Amino acid sequence: MAAVRDSESQLDTLARVIRACVDVLPVDGASISVMSGPRERETLYASDEIAAKIEDVQFNLGEGPCFEAFSTRRPVLVPDLPQASALEWPVFAAAIAALPIGAIFAFPLQAGAIGIGAVDLYRRRPGWLSGDELAVALEVVDLVTAVLLGLLLGEDGDGLQDVLSPGREQVHQATGMLIAALEISAEEALARLRGYAFVTDRSLDEVAKDVVSRKLSPLELGR
Amino acid sequence: MTGRALSGTKRESRLLRAFVQLADTLVDDYDVVDVLHQLVEHCVQLLDATAAGLMLSDQRGGLRVVAYSSAQTRMLELFQLQASEGPCLDCVHSGEPVLVADLSTEVQRWPRFAPLAMEEGFASVHAMPMRLRRETIGTLNLFRRDTGLLSEEDLLVVRALADTATIGILQERAIRRGEIVTEQLQTALNSRVVIEQAKGVLAFAGNLEMEKAFQALREYSRNRGRRLADVARELVVGELRPDDLLSSSPRPTEA
Repeated sequence: MAAVRDSESQLDTLARVIRACVDVLPVDGASISVMSGPRERETLYASDEIAAKIEDVQFNLGEGPCFEAFSTRRPVLVPDLPQASALEWPVFAAAIAALPIGAIFAFPLQAGAIGIGAVDLYRRRPGWLSGDELAVALEVVDLVTAVLLGLLLGEDGDGLQDVLSPGREQVHQATGMLIAALEISAEEALARLRGYAFVTDRSLDEVAKDVVSRKLSPLELGR
Repeated sequence: MTGRALSGTKRESRLLRAFVQLADTLVDDYDVVDVLHQLVEHCVQLLDATAAGLMLSDQRGGLRVVAYSSAQTRMLELFQLQASEGPCLDCVHSGEPVLVADLSTEVQRWPRFAPLAMEEGFASVHAMPMRLRRETIGTLNLFRRDTGLLSEEDLLVVRALADTATIGILQERAIRRGEIVTEQLQTALNSRVVIEQAKGVLAFAGNLEMEKAFQALREYSRNRGRRLADVARELVVGELRPDDLLSSSPRPTEA
């Protein structure tokens, strides 16, 4: 988490991405939070005071759409917040009743089992996003995930967006094999795979394939 | 009538079982990836299909392969995505079924996909859209070694299976809400990643092939009425020890 906070240039990038997202989409504000558990979280960026307030209130109360997105690891999309929140999050609803918030779209930042945080978008008036707008929002979420995962792994986020794709089946399987062989976390396993590929001057896919086909023992990557 | 694998009665009872099983899965807390895997397996068992695969929209303008009956099918599906051509892509874009009785007549239409599929031993393809009103959320694809189309009756079965799975993904009770589609699809895509990681954990711990690892994972989840994705996550983060899972479900049973 400290690595994330201390990397100013990457944080600037994230702030720019989020501001662009707010400009392009019919939303009025956005924020990024990183979390390592329900009680440990930090707002990395909030585009305005309302966005910051949405985050604070939820994590103080332990309920609300963004909190739920992180803890259940699924998007929580609420196009009509006044209607939904009183039922689902009554305490949160009461706490934000005075604020002009019509809709909240909360997306978890995650890479498989690695939970990183959440991106939250809000708009003043209720309403759902169109298919194209949703595509933009999801691309932004992917990008933010890649940058933050890069910081967690201690490297730049280059190429990570692609690594997270569900299509890279063998990369995920090899990650799992390293987790079991070396008793390390998924983050660490992915970092070892990437590191090994880098020093042996091979592609991540080649290394993953060799691990999965057992040409290369995962213990070799334990050093 | 090309060699139908099952006799009438046996087939009917299997068909019934397939629907009951799919419907059962949808009653409580179920796992989308698991439902889709069941679906492709049913297609191969019930219909005159050699292999089956399923792609879902990633809602970013692309598609993702989420379930397949064999590694070969997965490769064919991925190839279409890479080459940006093929029956499954046409099916998603048009929202209509794409039925190809003989791939050798479609080389001009899909100059890269058709030869590759034939090289892999496939002669015909059926791609069925998974549709919710105007939105196509994915496609169910059957690949066959023989030329020719499925019978009308079999096509109805494919459509019914695809519709059941679509409803499953979208949760019937909330089907009107557009945001549910996104929540479910995005969660399914991430689950896919966690499940692959969990397969790797089990493959190493139990010295298993990936397919066997997947079977063990499913078996354990099903026996305990747990969601596949939840069990997978627990394995990956170390809350569940692979040995505990493997010792409790020694041999996956045949469906």
